[in-house]
Amino acid sequence: MSFFAALGRPEVLDLARQTHYFWALLPEIVLTLGAMLVLIVDVIHKGDRSEPSRGSIPVLTLAVLAATALANTALFGLRDVSANGMVAVDGFRTFTNFVYLVAAALCIAISMGYLERRGIMKGEFHALVLFATLGMMLMGGSRDLIMTFIGLEVMSVPIYVLVGFDRMDPRSSEASLKYFLLGAFSSGFFLYGIALVFGAVGSTNLTYIAETLGTGTDHGHERLLMAGMALTLVGLGFKVAAIPFHMWTPDAYDGAPTPVTALMSTGVKAAAFAAFVRIFAVAFADAGAQWVPVVWWLAAVTMVGANLVALTQGSVKRMLAYSSIAHAGYLLVALLSGGDTGKAAFLFYILAYTVMTAGAFGIVIANSRDGEERVTLEDYAGLGLEKPWLGAAFSIFLLSLAGFPLTAGFLGKLYILRAAVEGGQAQLAVILVLASLVSYFYYLRVIVVMYMRPARSEGWHAGAGLPLAARTAVLAACVVVVAMFFAGAVPMRWAEQSALSLWRQPAPVAASPAPASLFR
Amino acid sequence: MIILFWFFAVLAVSSALLTVTRKNPVASAIWLIATFFCLAAIYTLLGAFFIGIIQILVYAGAIMILFIFVIMLLNLGNDYEPDIRGHVWKVVAGGTSLVIAALLARAFSGELPAPLGHVAGPASLAAQTADRGTVGVIAIPLYTDYMVPLQFTAVLLLAAVVGAVVLAKRKV
Amino acid sequence: MLLLQEAAVHATSAAAGQAGESFAAFAPWLILALPLLGFVLNGLLSITAARRALPALPPVGDPHWDAHHEPSEQEHHAHGDDAHPAAHADDHGAHGHDAHGHGPKPATHTLPSFIAPGVLIAAFAVAVVNFLRMLAAHPETAWVHEYWSWMPVNDPTGALRVGAAIQLDQLSMLMTLVITGVGSLIHVFSVGYMKEDPGYPRYMAYLNLFVFFMLTLVLGASYPLMFVGWEGVGLCSYLLIGFWFKERANADAGKKAFIVNRIGDFGFLIAMFLLFANLGTLNFAEVMERAPAQMAFGGAVVTAVCLFFFLGAAGKSAQIPLYVWLPDAMAGPTPVSALIHAATMVTAGVYLVARSATLFTMAPVASLVVALVGTATAIFAASIGLKQWDIKKILAYSTVSQLGFMFAAVGMGAYVAGVFHLMTHAFFKACLFLGSGAVIHAMHEALHHTHSDMDAQDVRNMGGLRRYLPVTFWTMGIATLAIAGVPPFAGFFSKDEITGAAWDGAHGQLPLAAGLAKVGIDGTLWFGLIWGALSIAAFMTAFYMGRMMIYTFFGQNRTGEEERKHLHEGSWTLTLPLVVLALASTFGGFLNVEREVPIVRWFDFGQGEALHRWLHPVLAGADQVAEANGIAGAAVEPSAVPIAVAILLGLGGLALAWTMLSRRALRTAAEEPAYANGVERVLYHKYYVDELYDRVVVRTVGWLSRLQAGFDRYVVDGLVDFGGKMSEWLGVALGRFQTGQVNTYAFAILIGVTLVLYAFVHT
Repeated sequence: MSFFAALGRPEVLDLARQTHYFWALLPEIVLTLGAMLVLIVDVIHKGDRSEPSRGSIPVLTLAVLAATALANTALFGLRDVSANGMVAVDGFRTFTNFVYLVAAALCIAISMGYLERRGIMKGEFHALVLFATLGMMLMGGSRDLIMTFIGLEVMSVPIYVLVGFDRMDPRSSEASLKYFLLGAFSSGFFLYGIALVFGAVGSTNLTYIAETLGTGTDHGHERLLMAGMALTLVGLGFKVAAIPFHMWTPDAYDGAPTPVTALMSTGVKAAAFAAFVRIFAVAFADAGAQWVPVVWWLAAVTMVGANLVALTQGSVKRMLAYSSIAHAGYLLVALLSGGDTGKAAFLFYILAYTVMTAGAFGIVIANSRDGEERVTLEDYAGLGLEKPWLGAAFSIFLLSLAGFPLTAGFLGKLYILRAAVEGGQAQLAVILVLASLVSYFYYLRVIVVMYMRPARSEGWHAGAGLPLAARTAVLAACVVVVAMFFAGAVPMRWAEQSALSLWRQPAPVAASPAPASLFR
Repeated sequence: MIILFWFFAVLAVSSALLTVTRKNPVASAIWLIATFFCLAAIYTLLGAFFIGIIQILVYAGAIMILFIFVIMLLNLGNDYEPDIRGHVWKVVAGGTSLVIAALLARAFSGELPAPLGHVAGPASLAAQTADRGTVGVIAIPLYTDYMVPLQFTAVLLLAAVVGAVVLAKRKV
Repeated sequence: MLLLQEAAVHATSAAAGQAGESFAAFAPWLILALPLLGFVLNGLLSITAARRALPALPPVGDPHWDAHHEPSEQEHHAHGDDAHPAAHADDHGAHGHDAHGHGPKPATHTLPSFIAPGVLIAAFAVAVVNFLRMLAAHPETAWVHEYWSWMPVNDPTGALRVGAAIQLDQLSMLMTLVITGVGSLIHVFSVGYMKEDPGYPRYMAYLNLFVFFMLTLVLGASYPLMFVGWEGVGLCSYLLIGFWFKERANADAGKKAFIVNRIGDFGFLIAMFLLFANLGTLNFAEVMERAPAQMAFGGAVVTAVCLFFFLGAAGKSAQIPLYVWLPDAMAGPTPVSALIHAATMVTAGVYLVARSATLFTMAPVASLVVALVGTATAIFAASIGLKQWDIKKILAYSTVSQLGFMFAAVGMGAYVAGVFHLMTHAFFKACLFLGSGAVIHAMHEALHHTHSDMDAQDVRNMGGLRRYLPVTFWTMGIATLAIAGVPPFAGFFSKDEITGAAWDGAHGQLPLAAGLAKVGIDGTLWFGLIWGALSIAAFMTAFYMGRMMIYTFFGQNRTGEEERKHLHEGSWTLTLPLVVLALASTFGGFLNVEREVPIVRWFDFGQGEALHRWLHPVLAGADQVAEANGIAGAAVEPSAVPIAVAILLGLGGLALAWTMLSRRALRTAAEEPAYANGVERVLYHKYYVDELYDRVVVRTVGWLSRLQAGFDRYVVDGLVDFGGKMSEWLGVALGRFQTGQVNTYAFAILIGVTLVLYAFVHT
């Protein structure tokens, strides 16, 4: 990273100085400028004509994401002195930023060809994906509840629009409206929760909150804090789609254009979980006695309920929606497991989950036609035999989602289970195993249908396929899913280091904690 | 002061209730303006004059006028259909809301933090107001400590505008 | 060349009096690698051949494709498709060797003729080089080399270290020589016997694989590695018994062998577990070193280990009660019977006991059980052999009987005698089996000409063949004399050592007798019984072998006029191995001549008890145990009685057969009436043991299986299905909330908020 040091990056950031935010927020700045660039380039291309955007827009978008990833490497090894800024400067943020970028890149890659077919090839799509990614990075990387909320909105607003991006499709618009209404509803709860926490603790800074709770003094306003935590939990539970805040998920996932569904189930979820970890597992760590039982039930109900409902789904896209709810349950288990192992398992799993889910949605896209979403189980019959590559890739993703050995999903689940057992959550581990046992049924059912049922008609699968770039992306995802099993130690070590950096206690507070507070 | 606070508080809550229960959107919007006015009054009572003024100028003045314009232009409110059907639903929904309200009330029922946090409170607020004036109390932190959220709020607005254009414009 | 050089080097070094130099093995891994290479090459050839023989592959996923009608080389064979060069309809089904191939053979059917025997002969050469080096050095300790770590397990309670290691000592050297030497001859014989079979490359691949596993069995330096070979030879045996698997009986015979052997393997595994639990190691060297110190002499542990090992050995070596598979195993090609079911694999049990001599010496009770079971098997199988008509069945029961002799020997602690008999038996029984193969080959060919449906293996249909198959007659004759125990043929010396040991035991002069006395058992009576039973078994052996020879080669020919014209000797690949094995059967016995014993000592030409001296380092551990426990045998007083009895019985059995049968007009199978006499019927039907097993074991297990299947289907599956249905109902019920109405969704969130708030605020 000497490259950035040569550019003048300080070794240790002091976020009390505004100028240091330039380095702390380098990837976000690059991404914001890139998103605007995409908008401008698109406008220059089109002028005032109404026509599909050029094919160079997605390429430019991918380049912006690559540049952001490069800027993200500037965060490697960076520290800040007091951990009281608006954004966290730690390995956890670097890791999760990469996850969002991977999710966004996969979303853009698999959208190639799909948007043209549906007649929604517009540069705004790509710009909004970039804005949403920016929101994820802000939300997951924030160290202040205000910042978390703004990140949440920067992420959500573009997603609301993206879900309804196909205005010609009433299902898309309906999904968008539902998601928007319920999202606004839950944002209200989240914001109220922040207000209550602020009222109880006196600051929105997460480090300050953690320290205040850690000292154990001045807890006369315990109930206020509890109510704040409860409402924050509701807001985050909505975004990660935990039962019972999940109701929007199947409808929104089903109605949204499939690349958007992929982004929602990967990047959005990852960002919400990262914020979840920062708020609950770090800031509220010392109030664990209060929130752990609640989240325990949330995780258990989510895992069991989502898997049971997924059993009855006839649409592969809806099945994947419920599967993503179920995976939220698994990730909650990692979060509950506590300690560095739990965080590391969480990071590993979120990476594996992102790659395999986005890949699976890529196959769903490959199986769709001009304006026609082929998502029912019968539509997949015979796919494995007629399109062996698609079938094999889908099988790998589904097996990985189920947690079958030789895939990343297996290793991820294994790490989560280990962390759960070590963290004293053995009961949850048992529930997790039973729930994923159920999940095998509906994942394998798709594979069975693909390989053992004849296609609906001769040449039914003739048009299935992806353009080259999307194919490369799906293939890469496939390779990563398998490689993460065989070389699982490498990402795991990275995840462990990132998790460790999250737990790094801020430098001992000699002077006043100096919270970024209105009442200084 | 206390009497005035309770007066505006009760008025604000009842206006808010009327906002969500009115069938005519214009009536709802008017009641919402009433709520905003009451809130502005409470801010002023707390000594936050600037916020009170802004509340009236921005929300009641700008945003709500836009709302009413849109409602009247599109001629909404004539084809009203109740979206909550049946008394059972009303009772259940009302009951749930009451339970939530009761739980939140319980949260406030304990001993409230006398000064908010360690270093904040009316005394601190008064000192700062004396130091920087009512605008400075808001503006200085907003452009120093909260610079980053402020900037990204701008990005949020940009994204929202782009989204609104995408969804609303007939031909893009 | 290599051999000659080695021999020259050792001759000079021996001449220079440099004996005793340290032993350096010469690439012993080659002995294993060469047959494996042969397997790989022949396997590839067989795949190629099979692919060509197949019609176009069925379309993937074709629902009309009938899996039960899978084409194979045999299918082709039966249908006589002209596209296949070796295809010629063989109406006689199973024994599809057919000398009437048309046109040139493809490479897949010519190359195995060179590869398969070639690798074996090369392996034999390497073995001989090592043998010469070992002969020169005569190391006192085993040469062990670990090539790689196979099963390293670190555990606080004891580490398991099993390496892929070769152990080369005098015992494994001897076994290797026998396996590669006799194996080479049988491979050569197979070339002549099987080359017309459509599955020829597959056959050769299996045969090479078998040799590889058999060598793994004897060369492995630990019990687990031995077990690998043990299972591997079992697999190959199964594959080769069912080689003509289109015939259901053959496939069934293969399965029978496989399943019966599983019982034995269970014993082997339990014994290994016990051994590891008590000694913490499974390597031969360490086991033999630690056993005397860590296990009590005659204690329950070592007895259990030995008994379980013997259970394994009984399965593999066809001892009572697990012998039933071996006669059925004759369904395989005859060279297979010679190699696997006579000369090598079935002796693995004897090798196991000899290898574990230290353990068995420590467990006198287990040893006595081994000896008694061996004796019982010997007399039991010999009596069945008296009344069989199928030439291969006679030899099969003879093999079981001879294996009983070997177990009697190793059981009595006469390990050298057991191994000695193993070796000589490999010679003469391989010779007999190959000879029977040559006879069947000739018979089959002759019967084929007239499309007769006479049984080519029934001795009643033969007769007078000595005129048509002179080489076969003479070689088989020599082997018969050897097995009957007529001096100076090989079997005489080895069998005499066994009966002699029993005689010594009856006089209390065996270490085992002393050992038994130590645990409170008077062994002399038992040994007397063993001696008597073995003597009767030897007499029976001589009789049924004589009977077989007379039926086959003497008297009038009963094949029929037309067929007689086509009876002739096979090619040199068939006769050469017979001659070599006959020579070995003649002179093999001189390897170990007891100087003290009357009559026997006449054949001492200075070599004396060479095998005893050769194997001494291997058995040193057992001797030490015997000495340490004060049971080393008393000085043996050689007696002329057992030796005289043995000679008399051998000659007497043959003479009795001659006097009973040579005068009588023998009848063909069609004319011969079925056995009327009750005893004869019982013997012909093998004491009805198969039927008994069918009633008692097979049906009971079948009944239990059906019960279990019912339990599985209705109770277990029912529970699983119920779980599945429940999940689905629950899923449907939960899915009902997914109404698509935003109100409902918002209300659900509100409910969630209520619950969460309640949970937080009320704690």
